[in-house]
Amino acid sequence: MKNNVVGRKTSGVDKALRIALYATLILVAGFYLMPLVVMLITSMKDAEEVRNGTLLSLPSYIHFDSWEKAWSSACTGSSCHGISPYFMNSFKIVIPAVAISTILGAINGYVISLWRFRGSNLFFAALLLGCFIPFQVVLLPMARTLGWLGIASSTTGLVFVHVVYGVAFTTLFFRNFYQSIPGELIKAARLDGAGFFTIFYRIILPVSTPIIVVTVIWQFTQIWNDFLFGVAFSGFESQPVTVALNNLVNTSFGGKEYNVDMAAAVIAALPTLIVYVFAGKYFVRGLTAGAVKG
Amino acid sequence: MANLTIDNVKKSYGKTEILKGINIAIEAGEFLILVGPSGCGKSTLMNSIAGLEDVTEGRILIADKDVTYTSPKDRDIAMVFQSYALYPNMTVAQNISFGLEMRKVPKEERDVEIQRVAELLQISHLLDRKPAQLSGGQRQRVAMGRALARRPQLYLFDEPLSNLDAKLRVEMRTEIKKLHKKLGTTIVYVTHDQIEAMTLADRIAVMKDGEVQQLGTPQEIYDNPANLFVAGFMGSPAMNFIPSKIVEQNGVPMLELSANETTALPFPNPDSLKAHVGETVLLGLRPEMITEPQPHKEGQAFVVTTGIEVEVTEPMGADTMILTRINDAEINCRSNPAYPAKPGDIINMMFDTSKAVVFDAKSGRRLDV
Repeated sequence: MKNNVVGRKTSGVDKALRIALYATLILVAGFYLMPLVVMLITSMKDAEEVRNGTLLSLPSYIHFDSWEKAWSSACTGSSCHGISPYFMNSFKIVIPAVAISTILGAINGYVISLWRFRGSNLFFAALLLGCFIPFQVVLLPMARTLGWLGIASSTTGLVFVHVVYGVAFTTLFFRNFYQSIPGELIKAARLDGAGFFTIFYRIILPVSTPIIVVTVIWQFTQIWNDFLFGVAFSGFESQPVTVALNNLVNTSFGGKEYNVDMAAAVIAALPTLIVYVFAGKYFVRGLTAGAVKG
Repeated sequence: MANLTIDNVKKSYGKTEILKGINIAIEAGEFLILVGPSGCGKSTLMNSIAGLEDVTEGRILIADKDVTYTSPKDRDIAMVFQSYALYPNMTVAQNISFGLEMRKVPKEERDVEIQRVAELLQISHLLDRKPAQLSGGQRQRVAMGRALARRPQLYLFDEPLSNLDAKLRVEMRTEIKKLHKKLGTTIVYVTHDQIEAMTLADRIAVMKDGEVQQLGTPQEIYDNPANLFVAGFMGSPAMNFIPSKIVEQNGVPMLELSANETTALPFPNPDSLKAHVGETVLLGLRPEMITEPQPHKEGQAFVVTTGIEVEVTEPMGADTMILTRINDAEINCRSNPAYPAKPGDIINMMFDTSKAVVFDAKSGRRLDV
């Protein structure tokens, strides 16, 4: 068996199949990447070229005027400051929301997996339901809640909403990860005299890096890309970049500036792209991470 | 060092009773082994002593102090776990000193303690490694080191050798015994391995279904089991149980034996069986009490030689186990390898009933007491 594999000569049929395989893969990858390519080349053309050229024709020379305009002077509705203020808004929302929901998820998962209490399974099942609630359903009650809390139309309000609906997912991630940690570890630490938070901080968190990476990437992408909550609960000053992008595309004086639209879209997508490029391999690794062997 | 008293401890989850009133008292420096099949409640009892689980009823005293409702960290105990439960992110040295750190022992004292323990267990060269870089035996040592570092009043071992391979297990077993002799610590040790129990314990508590079946020294439990369960659980190969009828010969109750021929075995305590004449009981006879005929035993009071048919032989080196059928039950005999025995042969074997025990066939109760 082994000899067969090692000594096998590559036959003509094998070669043809291999070529067909790669051809298919390249075709599919090209198809998948096409919109991104169109976006990038369109954003680098000037208005004249966009109007006259075809969708796939390359820009005659590369210029970033439309990027600059999208960033600082394009009109979104009645204000014309580009998408930069909203880009910052998104960070103001994403950073605290990711941090808080990740921390809460870690503590929840820690309790549900390693400090089981009467009804903890029921509690987890109820929390899991939160992963499956369509967000459209909660828009109106949440609007009332935000108003009642006095944080409607603010980035704080959006942070709150994203934390509330993110905790279900983050808890699920951490809970599943912590399931593989032997309960004896907690017992040993308790006998050694460590309390609830000491055990969490000194023993559990240091082995949690893979799942923290997964959770942060997941939450960052979810919250950054969110449009529904952003459009429903933001005020004029607190719009996230996704909403601003929509406004920018819908605001036109005279002709449509596709190059500016595309540039704005690329800018809006950039942070999640960067996160994936730098942490993507940890994401895959963390998702498949198994037992913590002690 | 401290004594430990477990006073009528009960534990139930809802309607399920896990511990049904456990009473055990051990002296300071004693090595107690809790042994029993899985699900007998031995680990629950261990966790209750540690304070990791609450008891439903009863009291636990360490050094004459009631600790029934004391939190684990204030009981001054240390525990070695089956999975070792080493903190994966810490080095060996940090693992050993974590308990001291939690108890706010100054750094200099901790370092001294780490050195002492490491030398004691010969793990000085491993102090900077992480648990993942250690072999099973080394992890086991570190786990013991972590327990030793705090110098607690009481040590709890929860099946500490179960994850080791056979050879290492025997080595570590001896090591633990030496350590106990050297330090004179009070130890409660849970295992399901009856050989571990026999070799290590000062006293053994054999448990089943949440009850202590018998508490005694290893020899007491081996020679004088309280009931059928204890008799069958302790000893390897297990004790033979021969269903046999009690017959009266010249007014003395004897145990009937039909192998190749029918004979009757005398019994050291015949009066106890008077009430059971005519009943079929279980005769408990350890394999080493059925041997090839030994000249020096010939003519002794409780020795009978009779022919049996060999079914299978199992040479073990020092002895050869001979399997046969007596009274329709499979019986193990321990003979000298030099004694000729082939499957199908009829050979003479010597039955020594001086240490035989008799059980009620239904309830498993001892009858000859």
